[in-house]
Amino acid sequence: MQYMLLIYEDEAAERSPQSLQEVVGAHMRLAAEMREKGVLVTGDGLQTSDTATSVRRGSGGVTVHDGPFPETREQLGGYYLIDVADLDAALAWAKQVPVVEGGGVEVRPLMIY
Amino acid sequence: MIEAALDAAVRAAGDRIITALAARFRDLDIAEDSCAFACAAAVEAWRLHGVPRDPAAWLYAAARRRALDLTRRARVRGAHRPDPPVPPPTPEDVVLAAFEPIPDERLRLIFTCCHPALADEARIALTLRVICGLSVARLARAFLTTETAMIQRLTRAKRKIAAARIPFEIPGPEAWPERLEAVLAALEIAYAQAYEDAAGAGDAAGLAGEMLRLSRVLCELLPGEPEVLGLAAMIHLGEARRPARLDGAGHMVPLTEQDPARWDAALLHEARDLLAGAAVLGRSGPRQILAAIHAAHASRAETGETPWERILALYDALLAIRPSPVAAVNRAVALETVVGPLRALECLEAANADGRLDAFAPCHVARAHLAERAGHRDAAKAALARGLALTSTPAEQAFLRRRLAGMSG
Repeated sequence: MQYMLLIYEDEAAERSPQSLQEVVGAHMRLAAEMREKGVLVTGDGLQTSDTATSVRRGSGGVTVHDGPFPETREQLGGYYLIDVADLDAALAWAKQVPVVEGGGVEVRPLMIY
Repeated sequence: MIEAALDAAVRAAGDRIITALAARFRDLDIAEDSCAFACAAAVEAWRLHGVPRDPAAWLYAAARRRALDLTRRARVRGAHRPDPPVPPPTPEDVVLAAFEPIPDERLRLIFTCCHPALADEARIALTLRVICGLSVARLARAFLTTETAMIQRLTRAKRKIAAARIPFEIPGPEAWPERLEAVLAALEIAYAQAYEDAAGAGDAAGLAGEMLRLSRVLCELLPGEPEVLGLAAMIHLGEARRPARLDGAGHMVPLTEQDPARWDAALLHEARDLLAGAAVLGRSGPRQILAAIHAAHASRAETGETPWERILALYDALLAIRPSPVAAVNRAVALETVVGPLRALECLEAANADGRLDAFAPCHVARAHLAERAGHRDAAKAALARGLALTSTPAEQAFLRRRLAGMSG
């Protein structure tokens, strides 16, 4: 079963260049481990939400807006797509995803067609 | 005759049949539907051929056959065909089933139903439905909600189990503490809800008996987990006191004024055995300490006295590992007999320094009690009135009203 691990974090959280490097390193190690165990389908980081553009559909048709879709403090910052046996296995991986305090990982099963 | 045999078989093995099927087919709906189908088929088949020698095995065989058929049909999607009648199990099926006992998968199912990925309010409802076979109507009454809302709650939880593939497995060692905690927390919260109604007249109180039963099942399944035994002991102690919690007029009687002769001696005895069993395992925890506090109160049945100093020490231990404002209030009450009402009152105010207990009736009742002992009559009356306004069960209201009247006199 495929699960998407969606990483939500406060982009404004203070981070020193050093800790940023640590986080990137932690992601690399996690991705390598996922690859080694054969669970990683794909994964990427996203540029910050100030680069986001939203296309919204209202009653008047489609309009283009500056900014991310939900205007919340925690923003989608990246994702992993993994293929594992069940939710417990997916949660075990999600717990290893490095996030700053206050952030989190949402685990969503992919639709099965 | 047939109905009685069916009833007995369902009571004895219904939960094991449903959980065994759910664990095998990984689908709660199929398990429930198949079991219901087998019961309906039994009435007809037994009327024709007589009650089988092992009715539970017959039901299990019939339900398993139906579940197999349902899963097979679900796999052939889009092919709309009328339901073929499912033949009742052949004599061979039944004979084989009798040799192969129904597997006990209740523990796996408890972990699935109490999975932290499910909504808090769905966990115990689902557990009671699956493990204890409570009807939706009964659950709706117990959780003070409508049947429609209860069906929605259960359906949503079952849908998530299927869609997110929550496993039907006993968790591994890395996840064990967190998952066991989720089970214990679900049980503890549900029991607290059932216990709150002192009269035991409300619908939630009926739940208490089921929680007692569920706690016994859990002890049977996890005899090596001291917190499971501790929680079961706590529930046993709570239920042991139930007959003494109301006086003849239906008014609540507080714990320290209850007549120990009216406590259920058999349940007290069971609780003591459970706590002793937990102690042997040598790993203390908050539920064992809470049970020990209840047990200390219950020891008044033999000694005629409440061991306040021991209770105070236990509350200190509890607050050290699991601080909670409710425990802090109870500690303040225990403190009174040891250090006097004024010092206890200070501790109570300190426990509610941030005002988060302002809407918690027992806090005001405790304040009233301590203020009265300290001779602050007006403060006591005000606190009692506040507690009364926050209390919703009739038995407790009656008790508080009588105390308030007593103070004015």
